[in-house]
Amino acid sequence: MEPLQEVLRQVTGYIYPNEVELHWGLLVVVYPYLTGLVAGAFILASLVRVFNVKEVQPTYRLALLTALAYLIVAPLPLLAHLGRPSRAFEIFLTPNFHSAMAMFGFVYAWYLMVVLLLEIWFDYRKDLVLWSKRETGVRHWLHRLLTLGAGDLSPRALRFDQSAGRFITIIGIPSAFLLHGYVGFIFGSVKANPWWSSVLMPIVFLFSAIVSGIALMLLLYLLSTLLRSKPVDMVCMDKLATFLFYDLVVDFSLEMLDFIHRLYEAEESIQILSLLVSSRLFLSLVILQALLGTVLPLLLLGSVSPALRNRGIVSLPDELRRLLYAGAAVLIQIGIFSTRWNVVIGGQLFSKSLRGLTVYKMQLLGLEGLFVSGFLLVLPLLVLLVLIIVLPPWPEAEQHPEAGAS
Amino acid sequence: MERARGSQLASGLLPNQQFDPHLMLQQLKSLLIAFAVLAGGLALGRHFLMPKTFGQRGHYRAAAVDAIEKQPVHYAGREACAACHPEIVDRHSKARHQTVACEVCHGPAAAHTEAPTENKLPAPRTRGYCPLCHGYDPSRPTGFPQIDPVAHNPLKPCITCHNPHQPEPPHVPEECSACHGEIARTKAVSRHALLAFTQCHNTPLQHKVTPRLVRPDKPRTREFCGGCHAQDARSPKEIPRIDLQTHGSRYLCWQCHYPHRPEGD
Repeated sequence: MEPLQEVLRQVTGYIYPNEVELHWGLLVVVYPYLTGLVAGAFILASLVRVFNVKEVQPTYRLALLTALAYLIVAPLPLLAHLGRPSRAFEIFLTPNFHSAMAMFGFVYAWYLMVVLLLEIWFDYRKDLVLWSKRETGVRHWLHRLLTLGAGDLSPRALRFDQSAGRFITIIGIPSAFLLHGYVGFIFGSVKANPWWSSVLMPIVFLFSAIVSGIALMLLLYLLSTLLRSKPVDMVCMDKLATFLFYDLVVDFSLEMLDFIHRLYEAEESIQILSLLVSSRLFLSLVILQALLGTVLPLLLLGSVSPALRNRGIVSLPDELRRLLYAGAAVLIQIGIFSTRWNVVIGGQLFSKSLRGLTVYKMQLLGLEGLFVSGFLLVLPLLVLLVLIIVLPPWPEAEQHPEAGAS
Repeated sequence: MERARGSQLASGLLPNQQFDPHLMLQQLKSLLIAFAVLAGGLALGRHFLMPKTFGQRGHYRAAAVDAIEKQPVHYAGREACAACHPEIVDRHSKARHQTVACEVCHGPAAAHTEAPTENKLPAPRTRGYCPLCHGYDPSRPTGFPQIDPVAHNPLKPCITCHNPHQPEPPHVPEECSACHGEIARTKAVSRHALLAFTQCHNTPLQHKVTPRLVRPDKPRTREFCGGCHAQDARSPKEIPRIDLQTHGSRYLCWQCHYPHRPEGD
């Protein structure tokens, strides 16, 4: 009862009894953030494979593994949020085509099995075969198992790997759009909630996903290269920063379009939403999401990266430039996390009477608490570490059939 | 053309090579086996884990309906009450509480209908129950009978004055605060505390009986407030004065000053 009384003291205006406590907490904020990173990292990988952006080649395999690591963890916040997680598998046994939430299992399974795992498998198969030939012990057996018995290294087989990988990436782009567009779709189709109900929701989610994914890959590439004491490929960093800038411009424009559209439409909810933005969400929306998470990175990337002028508007040495890129990427992560927070939490802070506001009281312990959410945000990095150990994405680990066969 | 390209992709052949269906690539074989195992697992899982009656009547387990049917019935319904208490039910069904079912106040009555003398039903006789609906709450509709449980005849059980089967107020409310509690409490701690409600609101008696049909009026001019606050007003000199000609001349007083708490924001 105590937390409830604590919340009741901060409720303002008129609010229905079932709206005082929020039903979707921090875990539901973490979930779209994680799936966004999956979709974003995959779109970056597709830039190399489908759109032939050779400059970002060094991030290709790392991006695929990152997408896989985050995808493995993505459903965990939802499972932890469920009252009966042990029944979750039933949505696969009795598919309900009329429920967007129930179809998520299939969107997820499609993305995991048909897109990511297959693309990684086709991309790594040659290396898996050659590694297993060279290695002994556990790694030998593990890599051999992962080849699924397909050890054919003939030019025809390798050519097939290539074309199949490319084909899967082409399927993967709409699939990545589906995966994250779906999350926006769920929120956008809640008719009763004026903060969520917008057709722009899926597309805003999608572009913010790509922003967060590219920013994460920029950070991971920089960190992994520095940790391995290898030279950072500044051409790649510049290209990543340029794409990040372009995508941030699109994302920001879409969000402003949504904002202006709501203001111009001025539906009956506009007053409570204005109050929501200027009071409860001021820090997370105006300061964190808009100023620190979008405007500042836009200024940083716009002036330093070669997006607007060949050598950047402000020409800086490589070390300083990549430091600023990393700073912008961290700010973007904070901003995108705030975006998810503002959608999920913000949408539940105002009453359906449109006359009152409640507050979100975050727990520390327990399944819905801060620590579990923090753990779920770190867990993908641990999974990524394991994936990197099993499937090294670095260029020097890549094998060539002629060398391996000899 | 498309089909040719597709089969070429599936076999990994160059355009000038012949397609031989027996020459299936090792990768495809492995993947086919892996996916066949997965699909088989799903089919097996569906076979063993899906409830047998699922989908017979809709997207749910049909046997769940039978299970729910077997649950004991707790409520009897108004008709069952009428069989033994026709007078009360008759009076109640014509009174203002007609939409409040018997079991809302008396609790589930199924056991009582089976054995009336062994299972007596409770009736709320304390002050705690009625305010669940009639306690003052600003989000309740205007005109809905509401009281302040603390100030309204303290310690007296509600049924002393009100008959819940035929609830009529024993007399019309004496004070405006009976219904407009929040405004009354706000005004009570403001500088306007000593002003009677009727000083500003002309309230017909009928408003207390049919509050929504006959409404009290509100002051509509600047001069009304000027009656006390104008420079030349005949009122005690402690009352703050303004020059009606120059002070916010384009606005009505209550666009800036809330009359029930004039010193507030």
